[in-house]
Amino acid sequence: MTGVLIGLLVAAVVLWAGAALTAILGRSIPGVRMASVLSCTGGGAALVAGVAELATRAQAQIALSSGVAGSVTLVLTPLAAVFLMALGLVAMALGANFPRSHEPGTATTTYLVSYHLALLASLFVLLAGTVTVFLVAWESMTLTSYLLALRHHRDRGVAGGAFLFIALGEVGFAMIIAAFGILALRTGSLDFAVMHARAAALGGGWGDAVFLLILLGFAFKAGLIPLHLALPAADPVAPPDGAAFLSAIVTKLAVYGICLVSFRLLPAGPVWWGLTAMSLGVVSAVLGVLYSLMERDWKRFLAFSTIENLGVILIALGGSLTFMESAQPALAALLLIAALYHVLNHSTYKALLFLQAGVVEVATGLRDMDRLGGLMKRMPKTALIALVGTLGIAALPPLNGFVSEWLVFQGLFQGFRIHSHLVAVLIVVAAASLALTGGLAVNAFARMFGIPFLGMPRSAGAAGANEHNRPVAGGALLATACIVLALGAPLVLTALDRAAAATTGVNILSRLVVPGLTVIPAHTDFSSFSPTYLAVCLLGMLAVPLLLARLGRRRSSDRTAPVWAGGIYRFRPRMQYTATTHANPVRVTFDELYRPHFEITRASDNPAGQSGPVHYGFKVAPLFERYLYQPLTRLVEGIARRAQPIQSGDVNLYLLYVLGAILVVYVVAVR
Amino acid sequence: MIENEEVDRRRDAPPALRSSSVAETAAELHRRSVRLFGRSLHIRTIDTGSCGACESELRLLSSPRYDFHRLGLFFAPAPRHADCLMVTGPGTLAMDHALMTTYEAMPDPKIVVAVGACPMGGVFGRDQYTHGDLSTQLPVDVYIPGCPPSPLALLQGLLLALDRSQARMPGRTEPAR
Amino acid sequence: MANWFLRGVRQGVVTTAYPRRADLSTADLPVPPTFASGRINSEKAARLVAVCPSSALAVEAADLVLDVGRCTGCQRCLRVAGEDGRSSAHFEWATRDRHALLVHFPIGESS
Repeated sequence: MTGVLIGLLVAAVVLWAGAALTAILGRSIPGVRMASVLSCTGGGAALVAGVAELATRAQAQIALSSGVAGSVTLVLTPLAAVFLMALGLVAMALGANFPRSHEPGTATTTYLVSYHLALLASLFVLLAGTVTVFLVAWESMTLTSYLLALRHHRDRGVAGGAFLFIALGEVGFAMIIAAFGILALRTGSLDFAVMHARAAALGGGWGDAVFLLILLGFAFKAGLIPLHLALPAADPVAPPDGAAFLSAIVTKLAVYGICLVSFRLLPAGPVWWGLTAMSLGVVSAVLGVLYSLMERDWKRFLAFSTIENLGVILIALGGSLTFMESAQPALAALLLIAALYHVLNHSTYKALLFLQAGVVEVATGLRDMDRLGGLMKRMPKTALIALVGTLGIAALPPLNGFVSEWLVFQGLFQGFRIHSHLVAVLIVVAAASLALTGGLAVNAFARMFGIPFLGMPRSAGAAGANEHNRPVAGGALLATACIVLALGAPLVLTALDRAAAATTGVNILSRLVVPGLTVIPAHTDFSSFSPTYLAVCLLGMLAVPLLLARLGRRRSSDRTAPVWAGGIYRFRPRMQYTATTHANPVRVTFDELYRPHFEITRASDNPAGQSGPVHYGFKVAPLFERYLYQPLTRLVEGIARRAQPIQSGDVNLYLLYVLGAILVVYVVAVR
Repeated sequence: MIENEEVDRRRDAPPALRSSSVAETAAELHRRSVRLFGRSLHIRTIDTGSCGACESELRLLSSPRYDFHRLGLFFAPAPRHADCLMVTGPGTLAMDHALMTTYEAMPDPKIVVAVGACPMGGVFGRDQYTHGDLSTQLPVDVYIPGCPPSPLALLQGLLLALDRSQARMPGRTEPAR
Repeated sequence: MANWFLRGVRQGVVTTAYPRRADLSTADLPVPPTFASGRINSEKAARLVAVCPSSALAVEAADLVLDVGRCTGCQRCLRVAGEDGRSSAHFEWATRDRHALLVHFPIGESS
């Protein structure tokens, strides 16, 4: 089995490298097609490797020769296998879309090469067995993602967005290096397995410092508020599959980093670790969905939704840590399983939604939801796939989002089993915030699907949309995956339990999946739910009334009349709701948070009705930019300006520096 | 529907040619459809250019003095929910489209009630801005004369539409010679 | 206690008992007229037809026809008719039959 696993992983590496090469060598349609096939197959190999690892519990490990910075060890742990499954699935879907979404040319070649290098780097992040491999792979992933985002670098705003992405990534990377540095120094080794064995060496303040550095360092990449700006900056400007990769994979790698360090490399810590992670998750989830409701740009909206979902994942992880440190290992394992499930689910439906948004963007030339409309009739396949993704991400039964959020809720609701009242109350607050997020998310995604796809087209671009030659395969694959992840919940949970058991040491399978395709949250006396039967029930509830109506209907007694629109002469698209107005109740409720800036201008001062077009502009106050990022940037610039005299350009001064440095080294060395 | 065809024929023919059997068939069809409403009626009102007096009287139907809810009568928020269309006003041409779309938006079976003198050709009659006679536009089931008809007259007319009341004309109508 | 409750207890039920019982306020309603059959001559009938602002009166064969549907109750014809006409004192004219609203009054020869 180990051999098969290693073989599959090598296959994935080779195929992706091959795809990159093909992209370079074949700058034509067959070249792109070949790259697509190789990429897809590589993704499939990675997916199968992940599944096989969880199914067979084999331990695949490759140790290469020792280099300068420690040996290069590649290990596939069950925890990494979960993320590998997500990586493989998304890579398959994105690869399947290449032929129809990329025109052959130099820009495409560069893009495909950097994309496949990013895939390889992500693979190595997951397979890393030593600190060196992890850090090198992580940085390569950041750099290649930056190149991905720069595909349309001549367009306005792309360079700035990509720069913000890499700048914040580097700040996070500095913190990650610091954390791993502390870990390596205290445990005296760079190998993860050895670090795990010697975790006890991180007592007291060192463990706290590492945890905080890791949480904040990975938060930059995961897009957790207030360190989230990279995501809404880079996702809208990257091409659709690049944005899908950034949102679906890169953020999950950050989650993998947090899991890896908190659960494997750090010893059991105080309860406030879990509570801090949970509060960070709560803030990200609630603020993420609130800001997403104010977005008109489809991809920026999806970026904020990613922030919200990462918040949910972090609530689950934080809860897991809290339960672990409060002597409730079963619930800790349950919440870890819930977090991993949500990782899988979110990768699937977020990638799907980004791909569909990209299809619409190419077909209509528009990303602004307020200018779209009526796409369901013009692009039915795209609409259907997007509908599956929307139902999934809004956590509506019976799809996969519902299953993972149900598990998170059930885990949090059992906070009463912790004896500390303060902790229990904080967990309840987290559950309440999650409920708020869930409700707002349904609103946000009803808006995201309803405004562009339903109703009448609000602009010429939307009216002229068609599905001719638009990619469908990738989206269809992900939609199928959503349904499989929902209906096959017992199987998925069995697999995730293996991952959780390997990470936390607690196996709760018998208290998670019970006979009869039912799922229970780690305690038999709490609640239960069967995703399969729920799906069957819902379909039945839909089908039975339809059947009755069909059978009971008399022939030809139906009359079709136009939609009642108040008897007005002509129903114009401008009379419909827009995305802005749909979210207006939320805007009014949370006005103190948004502090929007309104601008109303008229073409002339003539009396009402004759004044010409009225322009209504509305902008949400960018709180984090204004109060966090800009002051920090100004501070750094201020320091840099003060330090500038050092770089005077005077050669004599530089010689003085050299002399000073030699003197210092001499004094220190002699000592 | 065959009932409308009967009414069309009745509308065009002068009174002398109207045969009692046709009237009976129309009445029977009307009774059958009205039975579907049970004892209750959901009413949609439409103003095709009236002076507003009929609307004032219609509005008073829901006041505590007349309280049409106790008789099972309701105003509907949209024609989709309505069984009955009460038309006031002389049928201005500007409201043609609205009147037709409202009528078509109502599901079958439905009844049309002409309220006031205007839809029966009074006050304005037929001129360059109005149709005058509502029965040239829609098949009218019940006529409620008055200018405006008091809420009590409206109640009587609506109950008549539901077959819960008899027509109470004074004396007798002498036949045309 | 709510104001309306106290007011209701004081005033009692204000809802009319119509249609179960007659409503006394109907005596003052403006209603269509009725004419004395056979007492109106052709010249007076012509004047009545001319004075009606709603075209509710017409002369047809040997009858003065009052279209109750078109009548607004303005009582201009009653001023012309004098003692030959009075208010019908009837407000329940609703009908399904449009022609039932055409009331015929035979025109007489005497003045």
